[in-house]
Amino acid sequence: MSTRFRAAIKKEFMQFLRDRMVVALILYLHTAEVMLCAYALSFDVQNLRLAVLDRERSQLSGQLVRRFTVTPYFGTLEMLASRAEADRALDAGRADLVLVIPPDFTAAAVEGRGQSVQILLSGVNSNTASAARGYAQAIVERFAHDLLGRRLAAQGFQGSLPEVALQPRIWYNPELRFRYFMVISMIVAATLLVGVVTSAASMVREKETGTAEQLMITPLRRDEVVLAKMLPPFAVGMAAALPSLGIIWWFGLPFRGSIALFLFASALALLVCLVIGIIISTFARTLQQALLIAFFVLFPLMFLSGTIVPIDTMPAAMQYLSLLSPIRYYMEIALGVVLKGVGVGILWPQFLGLAAIGGALVALGLPRLRNRLYA
Amino acid sequence: MILGALVRKEFAEIRRDPVTLLVAVFLPIVLLFLLGYGISLDVQDVRLAVYDQDRSQASARLVEAFTASGYFTRREDLAAPGGADRALDSGRATAVLVIPAGYAERLAAGRRAPVQLLVDGSFSATALIVLGYAESIVNGYSLRLAQAYAERAGVRVPGHLRLVPRVWYNAPMRSVNYVVPGLFAVLLMAFPPMLTALSIVREKERGTIQQIFVSPLRPAMFIVGKIVPYAAIAFGEMLLILAVGTLWFAIPFLGSLWLLLAASLLYVFATVGIGVFISALVKTQVAAVFLSFIATLMPSMLFSGFLFPILNMPYVLQLYTYFFPARYFNDISRDLFLKGLGIEYLAGNLALLALYAVALVAIASATLRKKVA
Repeated sequence: MSTRFRAAIKKEFMQFLRDRMVVALILYLHTAEVMLCAYALSFDVQNLRLAVLDRERSQLSGQLVRRFTVTPYFGTLEMLASRAEADRALDAGRADLVLVIPPDFTAAAVEGRGQSVQILLSGVNSNTASAARGYAQAIVERFAHDLLGRRLAAQGFQGSLPEVALQPRIWYNPELRFRYFMVISMIVAATLLVGVVTSAASMVREKETGTAEQLMITPLRRDEVVLAKMLPPFAVGMAAALPSLGIIWWFGLPFRGSIALFLFASALALLVCLVIGIIISTFARTLQQALLIAFFVLFPLMFLSGTIVPIDTMPAAMQYLSLLSPIRYYMEIALGVVLKGVGVGILWPQFLGLAAIGGALVALGLPRLRNRLYA
Repeated sequence: MILGALVRKEFAEIRRDPVTLLVAVFLPIVLLFLLGYGISLDVQDVRLAVYDQDRSQASARLVEAFTASGYFTRREDLAAPGGADRALDSGRATAVLVIPAGYAERLAAGRRAPVQLLVDGSFSATALIVLGYAESIVNGYSLRLAQAYAERAGVRVPGHLRLVPRVWYNAPMRSVNYVVPGLFAVLLMAFPPMLTALSIVREKERGTIQQIFVSPLRPAMFIVGKIVPYAAIAFGEMLLILAVGTLWFAIPFLGSLWLLLAASLLYVFATVGIGVFISALVKTQVAAVFLSFIATLMPSMLFSGFLFPILNMPYVLQLYTYFFPARYFNDISRDLFLKGLGIEYLAGNLALLALYAVALVAIASATLRKKVA
């Protein structure tokens, strides 16, 4: 390593670390923000607020209500007295769904007539509503199966009825903790944000303060300048991986795969993000422009990576677009290595994708860097 | 007079920088389409792999019940137990249905026949819903089997219990009807605070802010001169995304348009006020961007109830959501769009939003003045 290159690296580190606020915010993003989100955020449709309008208040109707409340899906329970109260509970958002049991519920069961119970769902959040409908359906069908058995026994039917019993087994995350996903997703998002923004800003700052011309006439080669600029954010980003591992441990995620593989994937993803930032800086004249463009690029990359919502749920066209987001591969690798404990044997397409995007960006970016680094 | 000159100066600076203008106008639209189309948490077409050890007519019918429900698509048939591992590990399947040998026999004998469903739990929200669907499919199928069995045994089968679901407010259960009205608050937090903060911090970085404070211009005037143009831009942006979002995605609007506009105006001042506040706290533009991201965009996306239900949060963190005005606007917007509620339901949130906007602008201006003077 030449002396001038060493000096350039030293200068970049000094400049990078001088902005204490930025260093503090980067650390915040990698630690406190991850913790906060992991504690707070969950998509899980659980503990739905159930209100019951039981027009019969009999033993049988009580049994049905209990079938709802013993599941983890339905949490608080509010008993209503009238249909108007049901309206108000839904309007004010106090209830997610209202179960309405008709006045002749038991009589119909005894006489063997078909009966129906109603649920009123607030469809504001369609995700919650369709999940709640599914849960309610399962409970009522199961109850109907039991009623049928009792009814037939009362008619003198001997023997048992056939029954299919579903035994679920949850893999990778048996207690179904959303936190597991959230921790990994926030670590991945922080890498992207820090990598792109810091590197986009560093080159443009020289242009704005007029020191780009000075750099131009030093004996430093362009690749040396760019590498020196990429090193501090790379070092800080990799250093931030350590608290990330600590957080993974703190939340009790089962780290099933290889830590080395996770770090290697993190380094690769961070490098790709830094390259994206450097390319952005060649398009901007002022810092403000660079930062805004960085944002413009960053957001779609993040959204199309499956860190916010799973890619599976997106329309087909967007699923194809997501193949262009390097962060998508990083996310899949992180989930695979940490939760599933799989290795390169299964994740090689993701590594290949990440490397291919990195390679393509370097190939596309090099001519721009040659011509526009100081312009 | 002076204010007019300041506003003109600010607009001239914005005009001179077409990149900024372009980003400010286009990014919210791009994000609107990206998120509007991309966020659908509805669980559909779950990739199902089937490991049928029974290979009977009865087992085939159970698989059919899964695929006919519309929630599952059958992606592959597994031949060996190890296949389930690989299908889940590689993500080719989200769920694997395992039907053990002897399934048909047990049912024919009127007994209980267990089947297994292996579900990928890494995105637990999906896993929970998949479980709910699977349970309702199996229970429904099981009920029909029992009825048919009893009939064959010559018993008069009574009518059975039925569930009649009614969906309110968003009867077609379109995900966009939920996402887009919540998106307005998020999109407006993406740019106005950052642009405002950057425009003030830039003057700090270049030292021009000192020139302004030694001029006869009063500091309060300087701040108002920053707030007015950016609030105007932000309000224009708001109208644009409201119009495009509502019309393009065909979101039903049931409430009062005037209430929505009033809430939007209050919200716009809150966003710009946050920008001024950020500019008082930081010295460099990079720091301003990071802080804007952490203090505005991220919380308005994550802690406003836009995607993640606030009720799922621990209580202390539910209180934390009150720090972010996006939360109030979100509630107002969804109540107006989907429920068509009137002022009697919205008054609380509107008052909080107004209080927030006024207090924020006042505190932010005071802090900035103290920091610079």
